[in-house]
Amino acid sequence: MSKLRYLPLLLLLLPPFYLDLFWLQAGLFVMAAAIGAIGLNLLTGSTGQLSMGHSFFLAVGAYGYVYFAGESDEHLVGLGLPPVVAIVCAVVLAGLAGLAFSPIAGRLSGVYLGIASLALIFIGQHVLFNVHDVTGGYNGRAVPPLEIFGFTFDNSGDVAPFGIPFGGLEKLWFVGLILLGVSALFALGVLRSRPGRAMNLIRDQQTAAGVIGIPVARTRAAVFTLSSMYAGLGGVLLALTFQRAVPDYFGMLLALDYLAMIVIGGLGSVTGAIVGATFVTLLPQLLTRYSDSLPLVSPPGTGGVSPADAARYLYGAAVVGIVLFLPAGLRGLRIPSLTPRKETTP
Amino acid sequence: MTEVPELTVENLTVRFAGIVALDAVSFAVAPGTLHAVIGPNGAGKSTCFNVLSGVYRATSGRVTFGGHELTSMAPHKVGELGIARTFQNLALSPMLTVEDNLMTGRHRLMRSGFVRSGLRWPSAVREERLHRDRAREIAEFAGIGKKLAHPVGALPYGDQKRVELARALCGEPRLLMLDEPVAGMNATERHEMAELIVTVRESLGISILLVEHDMGLVMRLADHVTVLDFGRLIASGTPAEVQNDPEVLRAYLGEEAAS
Ligand SMILES: Nc1ncnc2c1ncn2[C@@H]1O[C@H](COP(=O)(O)OP(=O)(O)O)[C@@H](O)[C@H]1O
Ligand SMILES: [Mg+2]
Repeated sequence: MSKLRYLPLLLLLLPPFYLDLFWLQAGLFVMAAAIGAIGLNLLTGSTGQLSMGHSFFLAVGAYGYVYFAGESDEHLVGLGLPPVVAIVCAVVLAGLAGLAFSPIAGRLSGVYLGIASLALIFIGQHVLFNVHDVTGGYNGRAVPPLEIFGFTFDNSGDVAPFGIPFGGLEKLWFVGLILLGVSALFALGVLRSRPGRAMNLIRDQQTAAGVIGIPVARTRAAVFTLSSMYAGLGGVLLALTFQRAVPDYFGMLLALDYLAMIVIGGLGSVTGAIVGATFVTLLPQLLTRYSDSLPLVSPPGTGGVSPADAARYLYGAAVVGIVLFLPAGLRGLRIPSLTPRKETTP
Repeated sequence: MTEVPELTVENLTVRFAGIVALDAVSFAVAPGTLHAVIGPNGAGKSTCFNVLSGVYRATSGRVTFGGHELTSMAPHKVGELGIARTFQNLALSPMLTVEDNLMTGRHRLMRSGFVRSGLRWPSAVREERLHRDRAREIAEFAGIGKKLAHPVGALPYGDQKRVELARALCGEPRLLMLDEPVAGMNATERHEMAELIVTVRESLGISILLVEHDMGLVMRLADHVTVLDFGRLIASGTPAEVQNDPEVLRAYLGEEAAS
């Protein structure tokens, strides 16, 4: 019985057979955001360490992948590594960037880290706009498609299960699901055992955590590094989905989006991060798609309230509402069949 | 159980901007004894605990435990020596269950880090199971065995105090420091907690350093009493000796007259 409640998750395999590209892309954005949000929730929700620098690590992941997998030409440099290797390298690179910042992340607590990590965004933006060779500058750079064992994730049409031709996004969908699944399970494993409990105690009672024998600074630094790696992986999937990496995207607003995700979904919870990522990512997409038929929202570029702005107002309101009325986030509203309950093993 | 060393405090002085919280205080906790530190509010008792557990830095003086000098150690290093403590004001994770709170006490005895936990490595799973078993045993011992699955924040105050004590025991300490373990409890709860402390001492043979306002309790449990007043040590001896010390009477009566 206990395992059966995960069965509905199999429905997630169906969209590539039924949905059009718009929805597939939206779904992949959700998965990418969810991976990043799980990482931020480990840091902010579970360890009580605010970070405004999450978009920096997303950028490191995205551009790391583009750099490692991309080919050099007269304008751009790239290492031309196999894409799978490039993904691993990009995640490691994001981890190293996190590690480089972790002496600060280990020493500062809560809000202070939030302020210090703002610096990362400014540094990141400066680098992204100016290191043309790697990032392509303002216009960004095309993202090399994924390729696993000679099997390319583009629209070559070589795969057509049940007579439905699979393009890049259809194939990427399954990769996204696997990456999200592994990320979620890993985070759950961490949260439900020794490091997770230490993180929670650092958040709730920092002094007691130290006295009990938990190295507070070292644990915080480790969580910061881990959360950067999550952001890096999220960034890779974002880049693969978007097929172009543009510097503008990885600014402060994106960092705020991620904080909104974990607050809306539920601080400290993996499910919450996924729910929040879905909400915050889909809202602007929905508003864009249906801006014609919605009052007050006008299509992008026509003046008036753009869908992206409207979405930010809406989830701004959602954040306030949730902080006031639903401290456990949307996840606090339990859907019985889908919510994995914590097992109390005998 | 590993052998319990002596804790010695020599000329410990702690100054905060303007005030001297501890003024050249010395005492020793003999292995396996229950040593009480008493004194009026603001006497420096909690400050003393905070120095012993690495939370505050001493201005001068030495604290040694089995050949280790504690005054320059980070809190988690002190914890690793097998010194555990409770806090005057509860310091638990309110959203975690009793069982998970107790498991934080076993942190120092466990090894699984992020990678092994995240990947559910067999060694991590095994370790988790072994330590949960022990944590449950300790919970039974501390009288909270039936509350393991409750979030700590939802328990009555008296039970939370027990959880704190049990969490400290979960670290398998050699020295247990209790900061006002019965404060805020009613008479029945006090009595039960006192019994628990006696049981801990008799069955585990560890040293206990106790800060408490409840004189009856201190006189009944302690082998040795150190009395602080305004950061100075004013008396030291067996409960009977200290009880009749004129300085002690003055400090306590003075406080009562003032309040
Ligand atoms: N962190 C601190 N900063 C400044 N003063 C402190 C600090 N901790 C304790 N004190 C002061 O030191 C004195 C002793 O406090 P404390 O050790 O808590 O007393 P007790 O536990 O005996 O009631 C008090 O005057 C208190 O105000
Ligand atoms: Mg005190």
